Amino acid sequence: MMRDPRLEVTLPGLPMKNPLMPASGCFAFGREYAELYDLNELGAIAIKGTTGTARLGNPTPRVAETPSGMLNAIGLQNPGAKGVRDEELPFLETYDVPVLANVSGSRPEEYVDVVKTLTDAPNVGAFELNISCPNVKEGGIHFGTDPAAAAELTKEVKRVSTKPVYVKLSPNVTDVTAIARAVEGAGADGLSLINTLLGTRIDWETRKPVLANEKGGLSGPAIKPIALRMIYDVRQVTDLPIIGMGGIQSTEDVIEFMLAGVDAVAVGTANFSNPFACPNIIRELPAWLERLGVEHIRHLRGQGEAAV
Amino acid sequence: MKNEKMLIVDNRLIAAGTYEMTLAGTLVSEISRPGAFLHVAVPGEDLVLRRPISIASVDHEGGSCTLIFKDVGAGTERLARCHPGDRVDVLGPLGQQGFPVDEPYAADDVLLIGGGVGVPPLYYAACELAGRGVSVSVILGFQTTSAIFYEEQFRELPGCDVRIMTDDGSYGQKGTVIEAFEERGKRPDWLFSCGPRGMLRAVEKAGMHPHTKGYVSLEERMGCGVGVCLACVCETEDRSSYRKICRDGPVFPFKEVLL
Repeated sequence: MMRDPRLEVTLPGLPMKNPLMPASGCFAFGREYAELYDLNELGAIAIKGTTGTARLGNPTPRVAETPSGMLNAIGLQNPGAKGVRDEELPFLETYDVPVLANVSGSRPEEYVDVVKTLTDAPNVGAFELNISCPNVKEGGIHFGTDPAAAAELTKEVKRVSTKPVYVKLSPNVTDVTAIARAVEGAGADGLSLINTLLGTRIDWETRKPVLANEKGGLSGPAIKPIALRMIYDVRQVTDLPIIGMGGIQSTEDVIEFMLAGVDAVAVGTANFSNPFACPNIIRELPAWLERLGVEHIRHLRGQGEAAV
Repeated sequence: MKNEKMLIVDNRLIAAGTYEMTLAGTLVSEISRPGAFLHVAVPGEDLVLRRPISIASVDHEGGSCTLIFKDVGAGTERLARCHPGDRVDVLGPLGQQGFPVDEPYAADDVLLIGGGVGVPPLYYAACELAGRGVSVSVILGFQTTSAIFYEEQFRELPGCDVRIMTDDGSYGQKGTVIEAFEERGKRPDWLFSCGPRGMLRAVEKAGMHPHTKGYVSLEERMGCGVGVCLACVCETEDRSSYRKICRDGPVFPFKEVLL
């Protein structure tokens, strides 16, 4: 595919050919989708949440469908930081695409440990701190709901990271801007939002939750308006780069997120229904720029704000 | 694997709540393993997850394949209402491990045990085995007469011995496939099974002879269908790790997975 300079965006640590990346947990470590299309088409790749040591994840069922969305409670199944460094990142290194390494943990030391293990990997462009995984006990969600804890964790990670650090914000809070400001104050280089919304479903036949984990994270088009609102709000209080996500399915959705104030976007659940969602959107973006009469995609950033 | 808007050639009710959908498209040429499944998108925008449906038969010359599914919820209900001439968005064929139908010798004793909507991939396996001149014995379990499908199709295969069990005894023999398995008295060289998890556990518990090579096809709620999302995992027998049903399976040796 031809490179289109009108789509190139540069975020801290992430020089992107276009503003699109698959979201963490929706692309594993790229091997499967690499069989379907050339990963070089992507702007960046956010890899599956990585913990200090390997995790097996939750019992099944791990997913349940919901109106225009899905609940998942995978539980951070991953091979652990060393496994990711030694087995997964070298595969992705064969592509000219920066990696956004998603980091999860139960304790601050675990986050620090993961970052130390991965920070020297040449293709890791930046880290994304998952302070909002709803699916594991002590899965970091505590860090995502308390501004002071989020700031402290950000500081500790920044101390050991040689790469820019993005903090992935949880929507399961009363005021997302308070967390955004707190992590910015602690030195975050960027933000990504939103993570999934906590939800559940109950089976009327068994009278039990559908998910073995009882609750899970809601994703898909159902959460798009919430994501847009939170991004819109956060953009009012910070100029940090924002990677936006939450129900993006189409090129039009990408434009809408740009207008709400993001610098780049991540596509999550849409990969599951359409494995070609990312390359399809990327190929459609130039025509949309022409339709909108903008010379570069970054010119759309935050242009959807109400006139003051 | 391809992503294709396949043409619905036929879609008919073949048993209570059970539909047989015939699809035509170029991805048919890639179907080669009994156990393989198609990941079918539900028409409409509001149901975002595809439905994994195993392939019951394939006609490479005619460029078509058949899927059998049960109407069990909003998604399958919508698929049941599709008409010939409609198109459905299909991803597939998926699954990297199917039933090893190329391995049994003609003289081997091959037993297929299926329950309910677990029967379709066994029919595909039986067709392949019959095509290689391998005779198979089939034990099929259904709840009741109205739920039975494909009995005739199995009987038409050369050398295929079919036994039908029903829970209520309204057809065939009253009882479970396990009873038929035990009555059969000898342990097969090969055993391929697919059906409800409880049935598969019972088959395993009924005792597989050490020399029996047993394979089981599993189903689970799926997300992506290609091994990315880690939704449809199953534990290994030693409980030390997981296998992805969609990608590593859906067929596994009995001894590899914890049922």
